[in-house]
Amino acid sequence: MRPDWLRRGLDYLSERLPVQKMSFESLVTKKVVPVHRMSWAYYMGGLALLFFLIQLVTGVFLLFYYQPTVSDAHASVEYITYYVNSGFLVRNLHTWSSSCMILCLMVHALTTFAMKAFARPREVTWLTGSMLLALTFAFGFTGYLLPWHQIAVNATKVVLQSIEEAGRYLPGALSGLPTYVKEIIQGEASVGQATLSRFYALHVVILPLLFFGVLGLHLLCVQLHGMSQGTDTPARRSEKFFPIFMLKDFWLWGVAFLVVFVLAYCLPFESFYPYPLFEPYDSLGSTPDGIKPEWYFYFIYYPLELLPFWVVMLGQTLGGAALFMTPWIFKNTSRKVLGIIATLVSAYLIVITIFGHDIYEMFKGGGA
Amino acid sequence: MFDLLIFVALPYVALLSLVVGSWVRYRTHAFSYSSLSTQFLEDRWLLWASAPWHAGIIVVLLGHLAAFAVPGWWTAFMATPAFLTVVESVGLLCGWMCLGGLVIFLVRRFVNARLQAVTTLADVLVVLVLMAQVGTGLAVAVNHRWGAAWAPGALGPYLHGVLTLRPDVSVLTDMPPFVKLHIASAWVLLAMFPFTRLVHVLSLPLRYITRAPQRVVWTSSRASVRFEERAATDNERRLFLRAALSAGAGVALLSMGTLDKFFKYFLKQDLTEDEQAHLLSAKLRRLKQTAEERELELERMSRDAILVAPMAELSTTRGKYFIDYQMRPALAFKDAEGLPIVISAKCTHLGCTVGQDVDAQGRILCPCHVSYFDIKTGQPNLGAPAKEALPRLGWALKDGNGKVLLVQDPSGGREGSAEPGQLATSLLYILKRYA
Amino acid sequence: MKRALWATAVLCLSAAGVAQAYPEFQRYSKERSGRSINCALCHTHSDGPEGLRAGQIGSLTQEELDTLGLARQATAPGSGLKSPILNGFGNLMLDELGRDRIQELRQRPESLAESLPAGSDLDGDGIPDGQEYLDGTHPLNSLDGQPLKLFRNNLGRHGFHIAMMVLATALGLYGLHNAILWLSTQTGKEK
Repeated sequence: MRPDWLRRGLDYLSERLPVQKMSFESLVTKKVVPVHRMSWAYYMGGLALLFFLIQLVTGVFLLFYYQPTVSDAHASVEYITYYVNSGFLVRNLHTWSSSCMILCLMVHALTTFAMKAFARPREVTWLTGSMLLALTFAFGFTGYLLPWHQIAVNATKVVLQSIEEAGRYLPGALSGLPTYVKEIIQGEASVGQATLSRFYALHVVILPLLFFGVLGLHLLCVQLHGMSQGTDTPARRSEKFFPIFMLKDFWLWGVAFLVVFVLAYCLPFESFYPYPLFEPYDSLGSTPDGIKPEWYFYFIYYPLELLPFWVVMLGQTLGGAALFMTPWIFKNTSRKVLGIIATLVSAYLIVITIFGHDIYEMFKGGGA
Repeated sequence: MFDLLIFVALPYVALLSLVVGSWVRYRTHAFSYSSLSTQFLEDRWLLWASAPWHAGIIVVLLGHLAAFAVPGWWTAFMATPAFLTVVESVGLLCGWMCLGGLVIFLVRRFVNARLQAVTTLADVLVVLVLMAQVGTGLAVAVNHRWGAAWAPGALGPYLHGVLTLRPDVSVLTDMPPFVKLHIASAWVLLAMFPFTRLVHVLSLPLRYITRAPQRVVWTSSRASVRFEERAATDNERRLFLRAALSAGAGVALLSMGTLDKFFKYFLKQDLTEDEQAHLLSAKLRRLKQTAEERELELERMSRDAILVAPMAELSTTRGKYFIDYQMRPALAFKDAEGLPIVISAKCTHLGCTVGQDVDAQGRILCPCHVSYFDIKTGQPNLGAPAKEALPRLGWALKDGNGKVLLVQDPSGGREGSAEPGQLATSLLYILKRYA
Repeated sequence: MKRALWATAVLCLSAAGVAQAYPEFQRYSKERSGRSINCALCHTHSDGPEGLRAGQIGSLTQEELDTLGLARQATAPGSGLKSPILNGFGNLMLDELGRDRIQELRQRPESLAESLPAGSDLDGDGIPDGQEYLDGTHPLNSLDGQPLKLFRNNLGRHGFHIAMMVLATALGLYGLHNAILWLSTQTGKEK
């Protein structure tokens, strides 16, 4: 005799993880993908997966030569770039592909949101997806420090300092917490060898392990539930997942791979930044101009520069909470409203990422 | 003179004959644009002559065309030794296939009575000239190896010259006789082209590739089912073959140009001694720098006072960087009275190192987010991202004998005194007790 | 020990004469390109020639100081001297222009680019040194250059390789395409 709560719990779980669908028939033969105006969005997750795979391979390649110590890190990266056969290509692929992966994930998250693909029974898919997004940002943040050049170390300092800043807005005993957190991340009084070692361990071992686990669950969910309908009225047409959708997906992978390959081969990612930022970090020298995080952090960086700190912190906390609670907050929202929200968020992201610097100059320009 | 005749006059005669002859024959005898088939008269030998000949000559001709049409790319390709070997071997193999095919063509024409009846002089002549052409080609390949690599550079200019009406024979004068023969017989072949069975090259049945497939409709259902089954199996086989072949070709191509490079990523890197020395010295420099930093750390742990600089070294307009007791950067200036100004250089906004140059208003700039700090008070300018002042550091002035003259704590309270004369020769220290 | 270091530093400074950097060029390049530029454009150390760090005057050995002294007297072009506080680009300027000419150019930093040898491209990235100076990118760093120009140059340089890669990927995908289709005929059969 099962108690009522246990039965309900099991029902809840089996609806979210319908393992009975794990058959050849439902996964291969019968699976279909709806065809409609937003069908292109079904490819974004796969594309992100491709870039993740590229990251995995090139990352392992880089491990062969990279040395995570403050005296050798920059030199070893230079060695890879200038002396190792095709080392430049491998490293530049890693950089470009990381940016592409984050871009794809952002688009993936926004389109999934707009298509209400998080709705019951796909809550677990959305949750794991949000975790993957957070993990990817963590990858970006930790990986940025590893080359140990001026921009890397100084930008990391800036971010860690802003964590500490949050302490000012916390009451009493809690106010020391952010400093405590910052010191845990940093490992010593300022960004130094301990920080580098930690970030290295995170970037190379801990985050990938976490990522594999969550990605496995995410993909399992996607496979079990199949593609979400995506529109209010069921699409009139659909195509078979295997082999039609799969074929298209692979061709897209091929094109995406070639694009990244050509970019990585011909356009050094560093050329977008002025050269002083890529000199080895010098704790005793002056800091060069133009320290900034990577472009995918602009959406939080420029508000930090322009608005009062507590506003940004509040916005960030709410935004993060909303991201993880989406399946429950927007349970009864129509796709139309979701689409409008997604459009607004994308507009914000695009504007702040492309014109962030100009907006900053407009309000804070001149300095004095 | 002879060279001019063969390599300048002949080519233009040949090209003229090729273009005009082909055109006229097409206008007047359009239906003769083929090679008269002898398959009905004799087909067993024909297979062994025609198949190797056509397969070989197509590959060889495409190779020649590529080498002279896109010499830059071709040469880049041939720079990979593995690739050059493959191309040369394939070319040689195809050459032998051509020659073998031609020999059988010729023998077949002479030993079969039915064929003899339809054989014209032109047919025999074509085979003979083709044999000369392939034979000299093989001779070049065997005697003057790696033609795939040297020919585009050595012979390309001549061919280019002929085609752009600026023939230049000078590149050919020192060529070995086989090469000259090969070129000469090529022109002869072109001249013969419109008057022989060679014209069938121009009547390739290309439409077969795009035309709709023929459907066979069966009257009996059993035959129909069997036919469909066979079609399905054929289709599967075709798919499998296509998959295997093109994936194989893709991997082969990758391994020629790309994978071999990635493979080299893992080999021992070949560096010149200069490069190694450069790398090692750079590494040594970084190690020294790290050692210096560690030394500073140790000094700050064990000493109660640390020398910043002699007062004579300080300036009013450009700060002197040093490291304070917390291992953070700090700056020392001299004020108008010749007393030191000692201030932290770690920006109170987000921790960047503040610049050392003092502007006209007596301020230093943090370049990260543009905060100006007054060096006297440490206060940031209004509206700067930094809200708090740069902390001032406590300091002490000592004379050459180590006697303390003047001490100032971080809040600005002073103890002791120093004459202006003593000031200039004194040394500036920071003190642990104010850290 | 520290004091001894200081003493030598003071000595060095006085022996070598007053250090002179030429911030006009840096300022001009920065203004024109909008990129941030530091002393490492021409100097060995990114904070300029003064100081005790590697590549700054205070760290030089006696031999290097002698070379520095000689380099500072190289008023005419073609001295062939390598100043220890300058990098390859700084030394190119010194050798090609001479100190007198550099002094003169300080007044009109915009014409430095055309005074440099036209074809000179020290880092081999396909953008001439003078143009890199105007663009605010580093003439000695092949990864630093105006992105579009770098992209165009490298595309031309690696065109062959990229074409091969495209071909290989297309072939591989075509193979995969057929393999999947073949697989789908097999799964259909099982049913």
